Amino acid sequence: MDLTPRHVPEPRRSSRRLLPVVVAVLASVIGLVIVVMFLTSSIDYYCNVDEVGVREGCDDTRRVRVQGSVDEGSLQSRAGNTSFVMSFNGVSLPVNYEGEPGGVFQECIPVVAHGRIVDGVLLATRIEVKHSNEYEAENADRLEEAEKSACS
Amino acid sequence: MTTGTATTRVIGWIAILTTAWVVVSAFFLTPADVIQGDSVRIMYVHVPTAWIAYLAFVITAVASGCSLVRKHRTLGFDRVAGASAEVGVLFMAMTLITGSLWGRLTWGTFWQWDPRLTTTLFLFVTYVGYLAIRRVDVDPVRRARRSAVIALLAVLEIPLVHFSVVLWRSLHQEASVLNTDGDVRLDGLMLFTLFSGVVAFTLMFVWLVMHRQRLTALSDVERVVGLDASIAARRAEHAGGVRAT
Repeated sequence: MDLTPRHVPEPRRSSRRLLPVVVAVLASVIGLVIVVMFLTSSIDYYCNVDEVGVREGCDDTRRVRVQGSVDEGSLQSRAGNTSFVMSFNGVSLPVNYEGEPGGVFQECIPVVAHGRIVDGVLLATRIEVKHSNEYEAENADRLEEAEKSACS
Repeated sequence: MTTGTATTRVIGWIAILTTAWVVVSAFFLTPADVIQGDSVRIMYVHVPTAWIAYLAFVITAVASGCSLVRKHRTLGFDRVAGASAEVGVLFMAMTLITGSLWGRLTWGTFWQWDPRLTTTLFLFVTYVGYLAIRRVDVDPVRRARRSAVIALLAVLEIPLVHFSVVLWRSLHQEASVLNTDGDVRLDGLMLFTLFSGVVAFTLMFVWLVMHRQRLTALSDVERVVGLDASIAARRAEHAGGVRAT
């Protein structure tokens, strides 16, 4: 019995066959972009305040990302400008930011500020809040406790 | 023809009930966080979907390994691998979306090229690529072998994603439950709701994977039945031709 097809269909370059190839290529390109963006972003070294000017890559002559906690009583907001002092391991750094930081920004909270240090002041172009991995219920007693111990 | 069975129906109903409990608990019973306020409620979706996505990709790798080793059941394991990866990608997308919203509310930004965020996005894109590769090959056996190798390599990204917050300085907080020191840093009802979320999403995952892999099996059967029908038709034609001569 002859089982060869009578009509050999034209090989169809259907979109159903082509689509996965396009998606696979696209995924590879996006993957590459992600790696490049990550590596480019890592140029902004993530330094603690006490490492600025000390640790390699945390030079105060380049754009840096600096982590520290906002000092209690240092936060000032005036005409859309926010200034505060951030500290880490007993070392402090004044920060000036044109704008209102978003998220749960407040005193005594760890933040990461991106920018350049000019005359000892970090001129931030971006501020991000770094919250801890602890979750506590909000209630009146805890709020008082939190307020009392926030910066201790 | 249906992909449902008594087991999937039971799992489906338990998943619906557990999810309903999670919604009620997350929105009405659990307290707001002392720092983050109500935005902490995103955690009850964000964390379980991330964990279940990890689980899905591990199952994909295990099933892929089995499909390579147990050659007489290659296609069965491959269907589970593919179904698990599809659901895993769905859950990972939910993780990225909820994480981005949570980030805007707490960090003040939707996105940052941070180690945890970047490696998670990379993991997501890897599995989108894996699913695309699965659709390139028409031959199921070749598809199974090729995608199994990719799945076994892709799963190695998971430890990198999970420990990225420990390996690098990250804006993303460290784990509150499965952390290196074993401490749980969540209030009681918050932890219980999070655990309920994990149960609900696990049941959803199982339900979806069972249906999806059965759907793939039916599609494979349809292909074989179609081929058998063609051969039978040709045989009938041949028999008719012989009789005519």
